[in-house]
Amino acid sequence: MAENINIEVSPISRVEGHGDLVIDVKNRKVEELIMRIPESPRFFEAMLVGRNWNEPSHITSRICGICSVAHTYASIKATETAFGVKPSEQTLDFRKLIIHHECVQSNTLHVYFLAAPDFFGVGSVIPLVKTNPDVVKIALRLKQTANEMVRIIGGRAVHPITTVVGGFTKIPTEEEMMNMKNMLKSTYPDLEKSLKILKTLKVPDFERETEYISLTDKKDYALYDGAIKSSDGWTINDQQYLTKINEKVVKHSTGKHCWATRDSFLVGALARFNNNYDKLSDKAKTYAEELGLKNPCFNTFMNNFAQFVEIVHSIDDSIDLIDKIMNSGLDESKIMADINIKAGRGVGAVEAPRGLLIHDYTYDNEGKVSKANLIIPTNMNYANVEKDMDAYLPLIIDKTEDEIRFSMEMLIRAYDPCISCSTHYLNVKLINK
Amino acid sequence: MFEIKPHEFMKTYMHEIKKKTDVGTIYKVIGFGNMFMSDDGIGIRVIEELNKMNFSDDHKNVVLIDGGTSGIDLILTIKESDKVIIIDAVDVGQDIGEVVKFKANKIEKFDEKRLKSCSLHDLNLTQVFDLMNSLDVNFDITVIGIKPKVIGYGEKISPEIECKIPEIISNVIQEIGY
Repeated sequence: MAENINIEVSPISRVEGHGDLVIDVKNRKVEELIMRIPESPRFFEAMLVGRNWNEPSHITSRICGICSVAHTYASIKATETAFGVKPSEQTLDFRKLIIHHECVQSNTLHVYFLAAPDFFGVGSVIPLVKTNPDVVKIALRLKQTANEMVRIIGGRAVHPITTVVGGFTKIPTEEEMMNMKNMLKSTYPDLEKSLKILKTLKVPDFERETEYISLTDKKDYALYDGAIKSSDGWTINDQQYLTKINEKVVKHSTGKHCWATRDSFLVGALARFNNNYDKLSDKAKTYAEELGLKNPCFNTFMNNFAQFVEIVHSIDDSIDLIDKIMNSGLDESKIMADINIKAGRGVGAVEAPRGLLIHDYTYDNEGKVSKANLIIPTNMNYANVEKDMDAYLPLIIDKTEDEIRFSMEMLIRAYDPCISCSTHYLNVKLINK
Repeated sequence: MFEIKPHEFMKTYMHEIKKKTDVGTIYKVIGFGNMFMSDDGIGIRVIEELNKMNFSDDHKNVVLIDGGTSGIDLILTIKESDKVIIIDAVDVGQDIGEVVKFKANKIEKFDEKRLKSCSLHDLNLTQVFDLMNSLDVNFDITVIGIKPKVIGYGEKISPEIECKIPEIISNVIQEIGY
């Protein structure tokens, strides 16, 4: 390898050009190794101030096309907590159902379209159509099923409209419920095929234990609701997130870095898997075992396999949820809870596909937002990405610059950052000093 | 040819389309973009305007779709029999505010340097067109694009772009033959 390496990947986000990966090695000594991505929530926090209580969920659902359901629910939960709204159990079950399928939508997109090309050694999903057509076809079918689930319950495949503060404006019919169940059952052969394909992939050998933070629940593999749990031994009510999760501005990035017990932590599928393994469905556990994904797992690259295992769990749990709702009987009288507007503060924490997502709103007497704080998972992961890069670079430093660059991009992509679409089509500059 | 066979029941959910099945070719007009990223929201804004005009009621074979920032879903949205019109912020090297119209399936090779979809989609439009070509999906897609002035956090569309909404709508009308 060269004594000196200067790799600059810029921009990670091809539109705004805010994200950069910089690796600067001189005389085999790392001078600089950073990832820069801007903090988008600032704009949305400012935009929410002064808005009526029924607006934030629709506005924040537009932050991201891939995480629109998660933002909708973090927002709705924050507002409901502030006002003391108690949605019905039926509403909560439908919310759990829809959030499962945003997870399937997003995990499918990442595992099959964005991360798989790395493992298959092709540049993008396009050549994958020729080399591994089954992978692309399975992915499209899974995505279609998840889209249909979100559309039937949420009214649209992205940016759902039927789900609001207090409940739903409309719920599926009995026929739609049975059709959803049949549709979910039909995915199992594709999951089986995917398992066989994924088992053939070689995952980079890299381990770095860190702090893993996610929601946790006594009953569910927590996505919609739960307390905040750290693998470092603490669990807190989501309303108390500020007692453990800290943010700081760092010199090299406009995005804040987060820390809790240590100087960095990881959120996302791998954190959920490590913290909540025992709540996975039996089939999901079996698939994890087949993939060599053990609990706990400290290899960030295995995050992609954890995402696949979550797809399996979401399909299983959705079928159970549909059965539960149907056994109780669909009840139109339970679709909306009473809403009494009052001044107050509420925190909404959910698991977005790429990790813990927190909305924190303060309302005035008229039900207008007076203060908003949003913490997105990609921000929470920044510091940990850099720690991983610090630990991984020495292991691959004898490789060629091309290999180093590819390996580092692959490591970043394993986190499924919110700009993952862009990171796969990086405009890369490579400069030899 | 890649084909996704929809579950039979899915058809029952597509009320707006079902009503239109006896009116010949279905045109799907899809606006892409993020309404909180300034001019990137132009596609969504045009769909809003068409909805305000009750365009779909007057043109029974037209389905209006707010595509948001979902890129890959385009493959799942269209069917072979559909004609699709996409409205998006697009930079093909034209002047700011200039409206361009072209057939996506007439382009042999998509060059991102020349055809740059400005939206923050999961896969951007050029990648999705490329993917559809690779999958041998037959598609008839017309892109009506406008070069944005500003793409960054903001609710407002630049006046130079907003004033072109009538021109974009005229292009849509021309495309569906009214």
